[in-house]
Amino acid sequence: MEGTERNKTYVEDIDRSIYDIKDKVNASFLTEKGLNFGIVNTISLEKNDPKWMREFRQNALKVYNSLELPKWGPSLDGLDMNNIVTYIRPNTKMQASWDEVPEDIKNTFERLGIPEAERTSLAGVGAQYDSEVVYHNIKEEVKRLGVIYTDMESALREYEDMVKEHFMKLITPKAHKFAALHGAVWSGGSFVYVPPGVSVEIPLQSYFRLNAPGAGQFEHTLIIVDKGANLHFIEGCSAPKYNVANLHAGCVELYVGENARLRYSTIENWSKNMYNLNTKIASVEKGGAMEWVTGSFGSHVSYLFPSTILKGEYSKMEYTGITFAGGGQNLDTGLKVVHGAPHTSSHIDAKSISKDGGCCTFRSSINVESAAVHTKSSVSCESLMLDDNSRSDTIPVMDVRTDEVDMGHEAKIGRISDNAIFYLMSRGMDEMEAKAMIVNGFAEPIAKELPLEYAVEMNHLIQLEMEGSIG
Amino acid sequence: MNLELNKINVLPVRTWSWLGVNDTSIQEAIPDIKPYTKNPVKSDGALLNNIALKSDDSDRDLFSSVNTGIGEEAVDFTKEYSNCGMSVRVPAGMNIKEPVYLEYNLDEDNPAAVELNHIIAEDNSEITVVITYRSEEKCPAFHSGLSYLYTGKNAVINLIQIQLMNEKSIHLNNIGAKLSEGSKVNLVQGELGGFKTINGLRADLTGNNSIIDINTIYFGDGSRSLDFNYVVNHYGRQTHSNMNLNGALMDKSSKVFRGTLDFKKGAEGAVGAEGEYILLFNSGIKDVSAPLILCGEDDVEGKHAANSGKIDEDKLFYMMSRGLDELSAKKMMVEAWFQPAISRIPYSSLQTEIADYVKERLSHVKSI
Repeated sequence: MEGTERNKTYVEDIDRSIYDIKDKVNASFLTEKGLNFGIVNTISLEKNDPKWMREFRQNALKVYNSLELPKWGPSLDGLDMNNIVTYIRPNTKMQASWDEVPEDIKNTFERLGIPEAERTSLAGVGAQYDSEVVYHNIKEEVKRLGVIYTDMESALREYEDMVKEHFMKLITPKAHKFAALHGAVWSGGSFVYVPPGVSVEIPLQSYFRLNAPGAGQFEHTLIIVDKGANLHFIEGCSAPKYNVANLHAGCVELYVGENARLRYSTIENWSKNMYNLNTKIASVEKGGAMEWVTGSFGSHVSYLFPSTILKGEYSKMEYTGITFAGGGQNLDTGLKVVHGAPHTSSHIDAKSISKDGGCCTFRSSINVESAAVHTKSSVSCESLMLDDNSRSDTIPVMDVRTDEVDMGHEAKIGRISDNAIFYLMSRGMDEMEAKAMIVNGFAEPIAKELPLEYAVEMNHLIQLEMEGSIG
Repeated sequence: MNLELNKINVLPVRTWSWLGVNDTSIQEAIPDIKPYTKNPVKSDGALLNNIALKSDDSDRDLFSSVNTGIGEEAVDFTKEYSNCGMSVRVPAGMNIKEPVYLEYNLDEDNPAAVELNHIIAEDNSEITVVITYRSEEKCPAFHSGLSYLYTGKNAVINLIQIQLMNEKSIHLNNIGAKLSEGSKVNLVQGELGGFKTINGLRADLTGNNSIIDINTIYFGDGSRSLDFNYVVNHYGRQTHSNMNLNGALMDKSSKVFRGTLDFKKGAEGAVGAEGEYILLFNSGIKDVSAPLILCGEDDVEGKHAANSGKIDEDKLFYMMSRGLDELSAKKMMVEAWFQPAISRIPYSSLQTEIADYVKERLSHVKSI
């Protein structure tokens, strides 16, 4: 190959036309830019928080002010909290019927396919627009099973004890600066409770849309799946692109009970001016199963590491994720697992694609505590580089404190194999078909874990256009 | 005297600080550093007359831009206190068949060796250097080594370093290497003794088609600690690296291994692989690995594989079915675990000594 110019695979940029349509900002209330005690108190008053929550917010702000920015990961220099509006209430109340949602907001969600998905394949939907949930509904038959699915503000009023017991207990404000920020200014998000033994056969979905420029979204998702219950929860997010930085610092806290199962799927497609500094943690009891399925396509900068604490014996987690970074994107994604009990297992399958100057980092930690005897953990991490302007880094750490462990880790970085193309062409495919099949095959393990319509969306997000030989 | 080095063995890219792998530090009392009065050279004089054993200032300039695995604080310390070491320049085209063999046997009279080595292999030359580090029983010894390696075009340096010090000794082993086109460094390291071991390597594969092959074994028992930082930077085209570690940990011993393959933009056709295989014997050990692959070039292949766990039950069963009791079978398997590196040592007597050393250490083990 030396001396000849290799043509590169060309992967088209994500078609963002649907996501980039901006609504005129029509807020009924918004705070001034920046962050101080006055703003935090205003948010608390506007939301009519109980006293303990108001105090929680104030304490979280103190923690925020005492913590430093992370010293690892992509640069956050372009994020200035003095320019972020932390609370924007859209000019509507939460509705249970799309007909009552204001036309412009409804049209936005229509374009994103949310109401249609609700009709065809979901057990319930929540839709957040800027800082507040504008639509929430759950199918009657699911409600009759005792399943609670509502916005966090309603949960705080109607299920206060349950919220108080679980809210920011897995992710405390001291976890890191943006967890503290979240604790101070959180707004919106979903609350789910699945009673013991109940299996929700079709998924629930919350969709988060950030419309306003220079704004932050800080939704809180709290899910409790009780003993022997089963749930698939889907989270989607998008925003139109602006020339100013937007910030997403949500928190997701998941409690998986004994022998329960929770699948948490995310298709993240924030705009490329977004700083996505989201925090997700699951705690899994005896025999429970946590499954993360995640596709990260958007954002200018992402810090996203779903964490799992395997507390109970025989609990397990699976992580299946793909990250796709194009020009102007620096996506630092991965996961954390703590094996804290005997006979726990984790299985990780992570993929990334970097192109056009994009940067993907896979970062992980796997901790096996001394009590976690008979632990099994396997990690597979594959990264595809489509040009030499991009970057792909793999930063895994494994910390093992017992001998009764079976730990395997594999990582591979490279471009598409010429041999694979040659093989497929020898079986009768033309070059274009062979290339398309290889790249689609690379993402396929993730796509197959998603519900059909989301797999289609993911394939839509990875539109491939080939020219010349792959190299 | 007190030794204090901070921010050493720094991971090339930082990660979460609570994992404790971003860097390390050392604060230990060490013996006063006096002139090292023993002659460490075991090789015969005829061999050494053939090569230039003294370097000049220009050789030192060659390494002025070469960084090391442990880092600047350790380099400054070694340069300030250096009391032994060697500088070798192998003339172009010369292939020295007989290894240069150095022994550092530390004792009460010579408890501290601060070793500064420059090994330069000019174009198309080859040299093998074997260095062993031992300390007399009960003597709390200290060794700090800094070895600079430079390979000219198509040159080969084989460096074998075996550390068999006692459980009261501190050992720092620091390497900075720069490889020219078509050249090769074969490195074998045995970190089998010492109370505290800090080992760092940085190799810059600047020349096209240059190769580094690293085979390391380590053994932790008692409360020994080992801290590694290997960084291989692929700059040249078609460069190859192989990093292979076999380790065994038992009792309360701890190990941190940082291994980084960094494919720089322009390193087209580069291939790098790192593998770490660890035998674990009991709860209470600490086994931390951070195998990084950093990549700014698409036309490369970078691979990492790691496996840690107990001795393979099937193999154990097989050996016991041949008449060995469980403890003997396990001990034999530990010895076998180190063979891939031991077999690369050019002296059978040293191979035997290492096997005996491991056997002796294992003889105290009542159950594993």
